[in-house]
Order: sequence, then C-alpha cells, then structure tokens
Amino acid sequence: MKTKIGFFDFAGCEGCQLTVMNLEEELLQVLQLVEIVEFRELMSERVAQLEIAFVEGSICRPGDRQRLQQIRDRSQVLVALGSCADNGGVNALGSDRTAEVLRQQVYGSDLPHLYTETPQPLSAVVKVDFRVPGCPIDGREFLAILQALLLKQQPELPSFAVCVECKLAEYPCSFDYGQVCLGPVTRAGCRAICIDGGGHCRGCRGLIDNPRTSPYHRILEQHGLCFDEILDQYRTFNIGEQESAK
Amino acid sequence: MSQRIKLDYLTRIEGHAQLIIERKAGKVTGCRLEVVETPRFFEALLQGRHYRDVATIVARVCGVCSISHTLASLLATENALGIEVPPAAQLLRRLLSYGEIVQSHLLQLYFMAVPDYLGAASLFQLLDERQELVARALRLKRVANRICEVVGGRPIHPVTTCLGGFSAKPEAGQLKQLRQELVAALPDLEATVELFAEFDYPQFSRQRVALSLQAEERYPLHGDSLIFSSGEKYPVAEYRRQIEEYLLPHSTAKLARTQSGCYMVGSQARICNADGHLSPMAVKVADALQLDRAGRNPFENLKARLVEVIHYIEAALHAIDDLLQRGMHRISSNSTPAAGGAGTAAVEAPRGLLFHRYEYDPQGFLQQADCVIPTAQNLASIEADIQLLLPQLLELPEEQLRKRLEMLIRAYDPCLSCSTH
Amino acid sequence: MTPASSLQNPSALLSDSHWRAMPQADVLRFVRSLLLAYDVVGAQNKRGRIVLDSLQDAADLLLDFPPAVHSPKKFLFPNWDQLFRFKLDENILLQPETAAPPRIIFGMHPCDLHAVKILDDCLFDGESDSSYRAKREATLLVGVDCTPDEYCFCTSLGTDRIAEGFDLFLHRRDDSYLLQSGSERGLQLLQNHAPEIFDGVAESPLPLQVKQCSNKVQFPIESLPSLMEEAYEDDIWQELGQDCLGCGSCTLLCPSCYCFNVQDKLEINLQEGQRIRTWDSCQFDQFAQIADGENFRSSQADRQRHRFYRKYKYLWDKYQRTACVGCGRCSRECLSQIEPVEVLNRLFATAPPALISDQPGSEYQPQMAQVLEVRSLSEQDRLFKLQLPQPLDFTPGCFVELSVFGLGEAPFSITSPPDGGNLIEVVIRKAGALTQALHRTREGDSIGIRGPFGTGYPLAQMLGKDLLLVAGGRGLLAIRSLLLAALKQRQEFGRITLLCGGRDIESLMFPQDLLDWHQSGLLDCRIAVKDQQNHWGVPAVDVSYLFKDLEINPQRTVAAVSGPPGMYRQINPLLFRMGLDDEDIYLNLERHMKCGLGKCGKCRINNICVCESGPIFSYHSIKHLAEAIER
Repeated sequence: MKTKIGFFDFAGCEGCQLTVMNLEEELLQVLQLVEIVEFRELMSERVAQLEIAFVEGSICRPGDRQRLQQIRDRSQVLVALGSCADNGGVNALGSDRTAEVLRQQVYGSDLPHLYTETPQPLSAVVKVDFRVPGCPIDGREFLAILQALLLKQQPELPSFAVCVECKLAEYPCSFDYGQVCLGPVTRAGCRAICIDGGGHCRGCRGLIDNPRTSPYHRILEQHGLCFDEILDQYRTFNIGEQESAK
Repeated sequence: MSQRIKLDYLTRIEGHAQLIIERKAGKVTGCRLEVVETPRFFEALLQGRHYRDVATIVARVCGVCSISHTLASLLATENALGIEVPPAAQLLRRLLSYGEIVQSHLLQLYFMAVPDYLGAASLFQLLDERQELVARALRLKRVANRICEVVGGRPIHPVTTCLGGFSAKPEAGQLKQLRQELVAALPDLEATVELFAEFDYPQFSRQRVALSLQAEERYPLHGDSLIFSSGEKYPVAEYRRQIEEYLLPHSTAKLARTQSGCYMVGSQARICNADGHLSPMAVKVADALQLDRAGRNPFENLKARLVEVIHYIEAALHAIDDLLQRGMHRISSNSTPAAGGAGTAAVEAPRGLLFHRYEYDPQGFLQQADCVIPTAQNLASIEADIQLLLPQLLELPEEQLRKRLEMLIRAYDPCLSCSTH
Repeated sequence: MTPASSLQNPSALLSDSHWRAMPQADVLRFVRSLLLAYDVVGAQNKRGRIVLDSLQDAADLLLDFPPAVHSPKKFLFPNWDQLFRFKLDENILLQPETAAPPRIIFGMHPCDLHAVKILDDCLFDGESDSSYRAKREATLLVGVDCTPDEYCFCTSLGTDRIAEGFDLFLHRRDDSYLLQSGSERGLQLLQNHAPEIFDGVAESPLPLQVKQCSNKVQFPIESLPSLMEEAYEDDIWQELGQDCLGCGSCTLLCPSCYCFNVQDKLEINLQEGQRIRTWDSCQFDQFAQIADGENFRSSQADRQRHRFYRKYKYLWDKYQRTACVGCGRCSRECLSQIEPVEVLNRLFATAPPALISDQPGSEYQPQMAQVLEVRSLSEQDRLFKLQLPQPLDFTPGCFVELSVFGLGEAPFSITSPPDGGNLIEVVIRKAGALTQALHRTREGDSIGIRGPFGTGYPLAQMLGKDLLLVAGGRGLLAIRSLLLAALKQRQEFGRITLLCGGRDIESLMFPQDLLDWHQSGLLDCRIAVKDQQNHWGVPAVDVSYLFKDLEINPQRTVAAVSGPPGMYRQINPLLFRMGLDDEDIYLNLERHMKCGLGKCGKCRINNICVCESGPIFSYHSIKHLAEAIER
C-alpha cells in the first residue's frame, strides 16, 4: 500500500512545489513508493485522508487558518515546505508596517477581499511535525526527509552552518569580496548554492540552532555595518527574530 | 429562477482562483474570474530595500517565472542606475530566459493541459497506461531545467544573475554538454508535436488585441519597444500611458486594459506580432499544427506554446554556439551605479509581457516599485472569452460545463500567485 | 607496517643515483604521459582559488603555488567515502569496497607529505582503516617545493622539508627541476613515463633553498608538551570560544584532522543504499553529544581548547610530534582570524619562564656549527670536532642532529665528554647522501646542528661505583663520552673496566685511545677482536669472551652496555649471572632512532619513545621490551 501524500499551498510562489516537480526522474521513482493524492497545481483529484501533507506558503488570512486546520485534521504528518511555511519567509518583509498601510501602498484601496494579517509560519496555527527549510527548498533534502518519513525515522537537518558546505566545495569566501554573508549563522543543506553562483548567503534556510551571533556581529562590524544594518541582513527571509531582540 | 455556478477549486493552474457564473432564465447575467490569491504586497515590500537585494526579493513573486522577474528587475534597476551589461552577459540572459519559457511551457502543456485531452484528472493517473508519455514529459522538462541550471545555477530563483550581468558563468564544457542534451531532446519534441497534432481543440474565435515586445533582430524577448497587433509601437518606458491597471472587488489581482479595452499577452500575442521571426523548425511545427497566427482561438494557446518551445530550443542551440565561439570573457559590468534614478524594463515572460519599474533614492534604496504581470493583463481577456463561450455551453451538464471552462482558463496558463504578488 | 614503508626502501634513498635533472618541458611531457594511465590530481587555478583536482589538461597544472584550499586529504580521506553498499532484504553486502582508482597526486608540498604521515600514524594505528589504506596504496605522491605565504608556519615545525614519504619529489632550480626519487614505485613511474629522464645522468644532491616563513612560533617546538600541560585552564580558551563561529572550517581544511561520521544513505527505492563516511568537526554543536542528548563539550571554548590539544598535545604524548604541520589552512580561512601561531606565542609569552629555559640549544631550526677539525678514524669513519655558538649542556649518551640543507638531518652521538664548553666531537660514518655530504666538509665549513637531545647516562648516580663499560662497534662512541667524563673525575669512581669488541683492529673506533687507556693504568681496558693482526687485544669471536676471567663486585658495580642489538642478548644474561641488579645495567638503544625529533615515531617501542626518554635506559625501565632489546 503506497503512502498517500499531498501538497498544499498558501501565500507563496509555489516554487517549492515546483522544486518537487523538478525532481523529474527521481519523482518517477518516488511514485513507486508514494501516491500523490492531492496537488492542486497538477491534479484535480482530492481525498479525505492522507498520511503526509506537505504545505507551502505562509498564513495571512483568517480563511487560511481554517483551511490549514482542515489539512492538519486529515493528515497524519504535516511538513512545512520552504521558508514561507517555515518562518514566514520573504512575505514577512512588510511586517514593520500594518497590513492597512501595505494595502494602501499597493492597491490604494481598502476593499474587504484585500484583507490580510501579518504573514505567519504554519506553526503559528497548527502543529508542524517537520520542516524542509529554504527558499526554495532543496530537492535532494526534500527526498531525504520524505525517505526518513517513509521509514518512520526522525528526519534530520544539518545542524552546522552554510560555511561548512562552502569550505567543502572550496568556494571563495563572500567576505573576501566585500559581500556580507549570512553563511556563518545559516543552516546548511543547500550546498552553498548562492555562494557557488558568485553571490552571498541571505539566510533563506534560517538560523542554526546555536548561532554564534556575538562573534558574527563583531565580524560584520569589522566589515563596516552598523547594528541596524546587521539586523537588516536577517530581514530578507525573516530569520533571527529572536536574535534581533537581543 | 436565478442560478449561481461556482467553480471554486480550479486545478492544474498556478495559484488560486474561482469562477462564478450567474444565470437567470437561461441567460448569463454575470461571470467573474475571482483571483483569491493572498496579496503579498511585493511592491511595498521592496520599498526601502537596497538595489542589490531587489531582484532576489522580487524573484519570489513567482516560482514558475522567477527568472523573468529576476531579469525584468535587474534590467529596470540597470536602466535606473545606468549600468551597462556586456554583450556576453546579455546573450547568457537570453539563454536563461529560453530555458525558463521552455520549462514553463512544457509544464503547462504536459502536466496541466494533456490530462484534459487524454481524459485524465492528472498526468500521474497516466503513469501506468502511458508510461512512455509521462517519462517523456519529465525528460523534456529536465532538459529545459538544465538550461536554467547551467546558466542560472538552479531552475527556480536563479543565483548567478546580478546587476550588470552574471556573478558566475557556465564552463564551456557544461555548455557543450547542454548542447548535446538539447539535440538529444529533438526526438522527444517530435513526439510531442505528434501528440498535440492529434488533439481535438475546441472551436472558438474572438478577434483579440495582441501586445508584445517588438521583434527587432529576433523573436521578442528582452527589449525597449512595445508593439500592438495594430502595428502601433511605443517605448517600453511609456507603458503606463498605454496600459491602465484597475482593481475589481472580486480579484486580488489587478487587471489591465488599454484605452480600447482588454488585450492579450503571451505566446499567441508574440506569434501574432512576430511570427516572421520564428525559427525554421518552429515554422514547420506551426504549419503542421495548423496554428492560427492571428491567435483568435484561446484554446490554440497550447499550439502556440509548443511552437515556442521548438523556437526557443533552436534559439538556445544558437545562443550556446554563439557563446562558445565568442567566449565569455566579460560577464559583469564595470560601470558604477548612478546615485539614484528611475528605470523601466519589460521582458517577455512565459505568459507574456512583464513590466518592472523602480525609483531609487540617491543612497540606492528603492522608493517606488511597480510590477505589471502578464496574467493580470490577460485576466480581462479570459473573462471576455468566457462571456462569449458560455452561451454555447449552458446546455451542457454542469460537470462538462465546468470541464470546458477549466480547459479554457488553463489554456491561458494563468499564473495567479504572480498576478496578485 | 605502513604502505609507505612497504613501498619504499629508505636506506636506498639517499644515494646519489636517486637524483636527476629534469628540464621544465619534460615535466609537462611527463605529466601528459601520466594522464594517459592515471587520475592525476594537481593544483589548479579555479575561480581564483588554488585547488587540488583531477587534471584534465597538463597545461593547467601549477607547480609553484602557496597551499591549496584543501590538502590531499581530499583524495586520500575524502569527505564522502563509500564504505560499502548494502541491500535491505539481503543479509550480505552486494559488492566489496570499491578499489581505489590508480591516482597520482602531483604537487605535494612537504607540509602535506608530513600530514599524510600523521594520517598514516593515526589511521593505521590499531585496526588499520582499510578504505584509507586502499587509497593510500593506489596513490603515488609526487612532492614539489612550495612558496610559503603569510599564513604558513611550517618552518617553526620543521615541516618545510621532507626526506621521505614521497615517491618522487621535484626540487626547483633556477630554470629546471632536480628530481629526487623516494621509492621503487617512483622510479618505475619515471622509467615508464619519462624514460629519457630515468636513463639520464645522475645528479648530485644539491643543498636546497632555505624556506622563510614570516609567521613563526617564537619558541622551540619541543617545549609544546610542557607548555600545553600548563595551559589547560588558561583564559585564552574562553577568549577563543567567544571569537569562534563554530563553523568547523579549521578542522575541515586541516590536512591531518580526520574525525568522521558514518551514515547510511538509502536509494530512493528504500531497498538498497550505501554506508558512507563524511568528515565531522569537533567544533560542531553535536560533535560531543552523546546518546542521552548531553553534550560533554558544550561550550565553544571547550571545543577550541580540544582542537588545540588534539593538534599540539595529545598526538605529541603518543608520537612526539604535533598533529599540525603548519600549513596555515585553518587561519587562512578563519573569519574570526583565530591563528594557532598567535595562540601558541601568547601561551608561551604568559607561561612561567622555567618551562623552556632548561632546553638550551634546542631551537627547531638548526644553529650553525663550525668544523674545527676532521680526523679520519677509518676508511668510513671520521671524527669531527665542532664549535657551537654557545656552550652545550648534556650528559654522556646524548645526541645531536646534524644537517645539510637539502639532504635532511640525522642523529649522531656525542662522543666527547660534557665539559661545559662549546666544543663537541662526533663520529660520522659514510653511508648515505647526508653523511657523504658531511664527510665532504672541511675545517672551517659550517654545518647545521640541533640539540642536544635525549636522556644519557645518569653520571651523578654512578659516582662512587665501579663502572663496567661494555662496547661493541659504534657503541664505543657513547661509552667514550661516559668514560672520558668519568676519567675527568677519576677519584670519584671505583674500578673502571672497559670491555671492547670489534671485527678487527682497523674497525675499532679510536684504536689510539684504546691503546692509550690500555696502557694508562687508570682503568682495566680489554679488547677482543676477531681477526688478530696486532700485538694487543685478545683474539675472540666476540666481546663476551672478555667476561671469562672478569671479577666484579655486583653490589658496587654499574654496567653500561652499548653496541649492536645482538650484543645485548649475549651480554645481559652474563651480567645477571654475575649478580647485577637490573637497575644497575644501562643499555644504549641508539639504533632505534630515526629522526631524533620524537616525531616520526620510528624510534617508538611500545609506549617508549627512544629519542626522548633515551637512548640510554636502565634495563629495569625497559625490560618489558625484551623482544626489542634482546632480539
């Protein structure tokens, strides 16, 4: 009996679901083990019960909460897919303003259907069993987590920082190029793909469990950033809320 | 007696929408495509961000067309701050766009549209019966994604693009390998053409206005000039004078119109305005599929998309050859960004014209942003089509009515999270 | 036995025929030929960084470069190493561990070669690591001179040069290379892929350029154990803990760090998979986490301290060498700029001065000694009288390291007595390239010297006792120092007896001294020689013959035996039969020494490091090593 899994989305770009689609050949193999029973972007079917729900996007409207709760109720395991679902992600960039201000800025209108609240991660509404971080998620990591779930094991995320993957791959350090990089405090698992691409880490995978913020901030200060600019670094993907409070 | 039909769980499209039809005494009295996507206020989120971070953030508007958003954003900022882009980087950007359009089109054709024509609820349902077809779909998507991977670092949310060009370039060996993969995909493309040639497309016709970038040396992709199917041309920077965005109380996506009403963007619009620039292979395919170049039947969007797949694959092969022969010595800009300014850019995204316009303050922080999304421009056109189609369908049982309307909406391949953003 | 030693025959290495000239163009040709048969790994410039990677085109190979980002550990002990494959529904594994591909690492700096020796020590210790062994055996190492950068501190650790542990080594000359072969395999490689060089004219070994590192440890590295011993509670670890990001770069990039994780990676079908080994780091949060979740090294300060102790203390305790080769990779990549040299120098600067002051002249870098006199003792042996820049404090039996740049260094017993002055005598027997070069030195020349090293005879404990000195062959060198020291204060000792054996009179060291002593009346000097060709000495098969009519008082007597290993097997039972206590018998294990630095591990016998605790041992202290000393 194949394990029934489903994909669901809230406010987001659907890039994480697309990443799953992009597994291509591997997806075909996965389909020997699981049955995708819901995936609105790709299929019309719907079911009553499923074993694993992968949920993308953040929660912004009262209706979202209700729908998420329903998904939770009919799923044995609920996995947050990607940074929007995991911690609010890019969506939360506007959380320094009220939704009303944002509405006025973009729509110049306050029509009721435009109503939103501050974007929240899934865990603010329901119990989230596991999470696949990243913006977008890493396809291979998704597979590893799915594997663990199918084997009834506890999926594990790397507890070390992106720097590790950077050093393993022998990429030049972004700081050497005058770029401020969140790699030293961001959870690994992306194979440092942004640094490979010549850029720097913006922290989309969230902070490691034990980020060494005080030496890290010292290094940023040495690179000419003031405290507010340091906090601003964490904002792109809405990580380190707790850190900024310190 | 009035009746309300609500199609509230539209599937096999990107994003969330519902279709409401109201009829009274056998006549349609109302028809609304309600985009219920959550507003994320991207234009507002960009405010106060430094120009270095803008493209990365705005790419998150949409996973399917993140490359188009990235490039439109970079081009707009480059225009605003006077940053030149070396020719090799421009060429690489085109190749990257080809990859995105091909992968988006293939996703739509195989995963969203094909089930309708083969009587399935999803492609996964065909896993056992049409194993070869599913495998082929995945193989082709893979090739398209490989273009994006080799040039952009990954298929979604590219990591090598930067202001002024690229922060990393593919190695020549990778491009040669990619070229082989593209050539090797031709038999699969032929099979795809055969598949789509067999489908029975619903008959429907409406004269529509097409808007695209103007083809200059080549089929439109990135450019400075707009062209309507009437032949009227305007500079991209003046897009706000030609296009007006407006809000309706049922859609979180803004809609767009010209002074004369709704218009279409996307594959059909591009072919309508620039079919003379299609590649030889694409022309052959267009003929084989008996494609109406004027784009009067929205269901033929599928054909148009497939013709473009062929065109962009061929264009990608040429771009690779060009890159290999010219070399990629300089892929990033030397120019110093100006202290602030305003800039507009438009690119042809998979679903059509995408505009980004930014204003920066002298410190390089964004003050004002505007993004006009292809799907938003098509929404009014979709509604108009539905209005016109509905009377023919009203006698059908609701299930079939629903199916036919969904097919029509899918044919446009709306990207709704994008349209709301 | 390590592959290194099984593949190489160090005794043959230092002969001149292992040196050949190699023009620059031939290096390229050589590499091209190698590329046809091997995976050739070399330093290349990739995205502005120097990395070791499989070479596609010989023209990309760099030969003059600062340390590459990763060391050759990347290939010998890779981060993702499949140990074996398995299938879940079958109880035996599918395939044996994959044979390592034939590979050449072309361009190993001396520091990286030293690091491989450390990996060998650690990974072949006990149950040897078969995956590492397979790669080690399938990989040939070609050394090349380096260009230290501002992070390198190899000169402080003596790892800027190496005499063995490679198959070939390219020494840079002005516009060509001098190729040194270090193993049979290396020679074969040359024969097969550069026959014209193989058949070419042998070159004489050339002194090498002396490397210069601006980054230096400011104290003799031998002081490290005692320095670290006292530094465990130092505040510096807290400070490092506060600076450290815990990213683990230092250990991942370290050429000799090898801590690892073993994980199972399943295929997508969940039916089969592989067990793989990945690098771990003691700097990571969960490294010291045990089953119940408790972390026994929970603070970053503890982790940094652990790292420094792993590098500079623990391995020293076991192998008398650091687990650091001074390549500087850790500090080169450390965002927080944690630099071992700075840490060590700070520890040294704040350490109590007594720690190192009792080790005069033990600077890691040789001092220069002037050759005052050269006297031929035999065809092969010459006595050198050396003048040092400062007085030398040692006990008889201690040794010094003499060196010629480019040929390395070797230990030599001091054969003169300690006199508080700055003159010493050593005897050098011509054997390999180094000793030949030393033989070529003339009065007025300078040679490198370090030392004294080792623990000699406890002269003070011998006062008032009868001395029974037994010397065979070169064993007389150390005995001479002891005897001359005793004769300087003759009245402090009881009877002194010297029993000396040799093949013939000519082979005896110091025949004139022996004759003088024989005739002096200050001691009882008896000589046994196999081939009687002179009027003095007793014809005998070996020195044990001289015990025949020996009368000693076992309660008053201390015996010092010094000679080839076989001699102890004969003599020790005789001494015990005469009633000597095992605490009163001193043996000289000099022959077990190799590098003299307490580093190479060659002189280790079980838990004893000869060149540090010895070479002079009481029988009592080493009797558990009977197999080593009486074999």
